[in-house]
Amino acid sequence: MSVILDCRSLSKKFGSITALSDVNLSLERGRIIGLLGPNGSGKTTLIKIINGLLVPDQGDIHIAGMEPGIESKKIISFLPERTYLPDWMKVSDAISFFKDFYEDFEEARAYDMLQRLNLDPNKRLKTLSKGTKEKVQLILVMSRRADLYCLDEPIGGVDPAARDYILNTIITNYDEKATVIISTHLIADIESVLDEVIFIKDGRLVLHAPVDDIREKEGKSIDSLFREVFKC
Amino acid sequence: MLGKLIKHETNATGRLFLPMYFIILVLSLLNRILTSIDIYSDTLNIVLGFSIAAYVISIIATIVVTFVIMIIRFYKNLMSDEGYLMFTLPVKSSQLINSKLIVSLLWNIVSVLVVMVSLLIFFGSSESMRFVNEIIDKTITMLKLNFGSKYILIIVEFMIMILISMFQQILLIYVSIAIGHLFNGHKVLGSFLSYIGINVIAQIIVTLILVVWASLAGTSFAELEAIPQLVFPFSIAIATIFCGVFYFVTNYIFKRKLNLE
Repeated sequence: MSVILDCRSLSKKFGSITALSDVNLSLERGRIIGLLGPNGSGKTTLIKIINGLLVPDQGDIHIAGMEPGIESKKIISFLPERTYLPDWMKVSDAISFFKDFYEDFEEARAYDMLQRLNLDPNKRLKTLSKGTKEKVQLILVMSRRADLYCLDEPIGGVDPAARDYILNTIITNYDEKATVIISTHLIADIESVLDEVIFIKDGRLVLHAPVDDIREKEGKSIDSLFREVFKC
Repeated sequence: MLGKLIKHETNATGRLFLPMYFIILVLSLLNRILTSIDIYSDTLNIVLGFSIAAYVISIIATIVVTFVIMIIRFYKNLMSDEGYLMFTLPVKSSQLINSKLIVSLLWNIVSVLVVMVSLLIFFGSSESMRFVNEIIDKTITMLKLNFGSKYILIIVEFMIMILISMFQQILLIYVSIAIGHLFNGHKVLGSFLSYIGINVIAQIIVTLILVVWASLAGTSFAELEAIPQLVFPFSIAIATIFCGVFYFVTNYIFKRKLNLE
C-alpha cells in the first residue's frame, strides 16, 4: 500500500508551549482514521501543518511524497473546525468558488447532497444556522475527489440525526485510494466507521493502531480505551 | 489562478463599491437639480444647505470608505476565519497578495474618477470647463517656462510617482496587518502600532538620505533642473524600494509565520 501521509519527528512550539513533540506517523491510502485526543492535545496543530497553515519548527512532512505547498493543497480536502466561508455568499456562490479553484470538485455531487439535506442553494450563508453552515461546508469538502480528507471536528455542531447522515456521506463519498482523517472527541459516534485510530496527548503520539487490533487485544471499545488513556 | 483570484476579489469588493458609487452619483445629480431651480424662500434654503452638506460628506466618505474597505477586506479575508479557506487554496501566497493589491489599486483609481465625474455633474458648465482648461493651460505654460522641453518628463514622472505611492500606501497597510498578526492576542493593536512604527522609520530613512545627499551635492541640489533629473527619480526609486520591502515581508510572514487563530 502506498503512503499518503508521512511525518518524521515533527515538532511545533508556540512560545513556551509545546503543541507537537517529535511526532512520527505514517498513514496509508484507503483508510478512515480517527485522530483522537482531548482539547489542546495538538490535533488541530497537526492538521494545520498537514494543510500548510503552519510551518513546523522541526521535522519533515510529506503528503503523497510532496512537502506542503500548491501541489499538496490540490489533493487535500480540508474541513476546519470553524465556519470559513464568507457569510455574504450564497450557497451557490460557494459552490462556484470551489469549482473555480479545485479541479477535482464535482458540482453535481454537491447539488445532489444539498437537495438530499433539503438545503436551498439560493440562501445566503449569513441566514443559515451554525449547524447548517457546517453541513454546507462538509458537502463542499466531500464533493471533491481528493486523496486526503482532513476533517477537523466535522460533527461537533450538528444534531445526532444529521450526524448519521454526515458520517454516511463521509464513508460513501471517498475512493479506495483516498484516506480520511477525522479529528474529534465524540468517539462513540464515529467509532463504527473507523479503520484506525491515533491517540494524541500533550503533543505526543500515544497510540496508532487498527481498530480491530485494539478490540482483540484490549477487549474493549475505542471509547472506553480513550477514557482509560486520557483519564483525568 | 491569479485571474480567478482577481475575479473573486472584484466580485467580493464590487458589491460594496458599486452601490457607493451609485449613491454619490445620484447625490451629485440631485444637488445639481436642487441648486439650479430657484424656488427657495428663507426656510427652504435649509433644505438646500442640508443637501449640499450631504453631498460634501459623501465625497469625503467615498475616499475614506475606499481606504477602510481595503483594510477590512485584507484583514477579514486573510487573517480571520476566511483565511482558512484562502490559505488552503492551491495558490501561492504571493498570488493572494497580488490579487488584493491589483484590485485595491483598481478601486482606488475608480474612486478618484467617480469623485471627478461627480464634481463634473455638480459643477459642470461651459463656464466652469473654461476655468478648468485655463488652469491646465497655465500649469503647462509654467512647466514649459521652467523646464523647457523636459516638461513632459516631469508630467510622466509625476504620474509614476502617484501610482507608486498608491502601491506604497496599500502595501504598507498589508505589511502592518501581517506584522500585527504575529502579536498574540493583540493583533489589531499590533497592526496599528506596526503602521505607525514603519511610517516613522521610513520618514527617518528618507530624511537621513536627503540630508546626506544635499550636503554632498551642495548647491546643485537646490536648482530647478534637479527636480526632473534627481528629485523625482530619487523619490520613485525610494518608493519602489519601500514597496519591495513591504511586499517581501508580507509574503514571508504568510509563507513561514502564518498562525491563524
